[in-house]
Amino acid sequence: MGPLSNPNRRSDFAHPIEAEFARLLDFYRIPWEYEPTTFPLAADEAGNLLQAFTPDFFLPLQELYVELTTRRQDLITDKNRKIRTLKQQYPRVNIKLLNRRDMTSLLLKYGMTGESGQLIGSPNNPYESG
Amino acid sequence: MNPAEPLLPAVGRVVFTAAQIHSRVQELGAQISRDHAGQELVVIGILKGTLFFLADLLRCLTIPAIVDFMAISRFGPSSETGGAARLVKDLDLSLHQRQVLVVEDIVDTGFTLSYLLRTLNTRRPASLKVCVLLNRPRRRMIDLTLDYVGFEAPDEFVVGYGLQVEERFRQLPYIAVYNPAT
Repeated sequence: MGPLSNPNRRSDFAHPIEAEFARLLDFYRIPWEYEPTTFPLAADEAGNLLQAFTPDFFLPLQELYVELTTRRQDLITDKNRKIRTLKQQYPRVNIKLLNRRDMTSLLLKYGMTGESGQLIGSPNNPYESG
Repeated sequence: MNPAEPLLPAVGRVVFTAAQIHSRVQELGAQISRDHAGQELVVIGILKGTLFFLADLLRCLTIPAIVDFMAISRFGPSSETGGAARLVKDLDLSLHQRQVLVVEDIVDTGFTLSYLLRTLNTRRPASLKVCVLLNRPRRRMIDLTLDYVGFEAPDEFVVGYGLQVEERFRQLPYIAVYNPAT
């Protein structure tokens, strides 16, 4: 089973940090798509999908998938495992995970410290983005 | 942050000392001079983060060089940032058929530098190379060729030697980790 066009593709963003990331890409005129592809990761013997992963963004000019998370490092084990599995099963797919520290750094870089609480929460109460 | 607060509590571990920076900038200057022997180089500093790096690097060049500056609008909160990136300070010099070196402070995602290189390539320079003080490839999303790199940046937010948070800490002579919690 190969990558699928995401059957549940959304027209809006699941989390505010994703909307901000899209705004950042637009600012630099970088084309993007939101959740365009679902990667099947596991299926039963009958071919029924048991596990899949849908990265948040695809940058077509860079052929790069981007996944954002604002959860603490110790809470993203499952996501890291899925991304590892994806890389094993689809070795030609490029995917980058931007973690909480990356998102915090981006907000600092762009002078958006005042927005960080709203966008990613506090370290002890992270905003639950994927 | 209150302007009356002392500078240092938010500044953590020193990542690169002033002496390390000085030594590395000298090496970069020598390498750039060798690579451009017999040429005149147009050195473009991207404001404002390259303030000290550019000044120090220029003084290490042993080839003819002329300097210009560029600045682009900064991404920020939606209430303050509208539309797309644009040049807020364009070059005064023509780049047509010239040897050009872009000097940038730090490259992580590559968004800013790729925008600048797209813009500069339309000016048809004879060559266009990039010199960055800090490179953080783990976060790279746009493939870029960096011809000269000072240091690999740690996976932490850093300030000093031109790098800032809310326009503060640029004047530090070293590069240090910023501790936002303090």
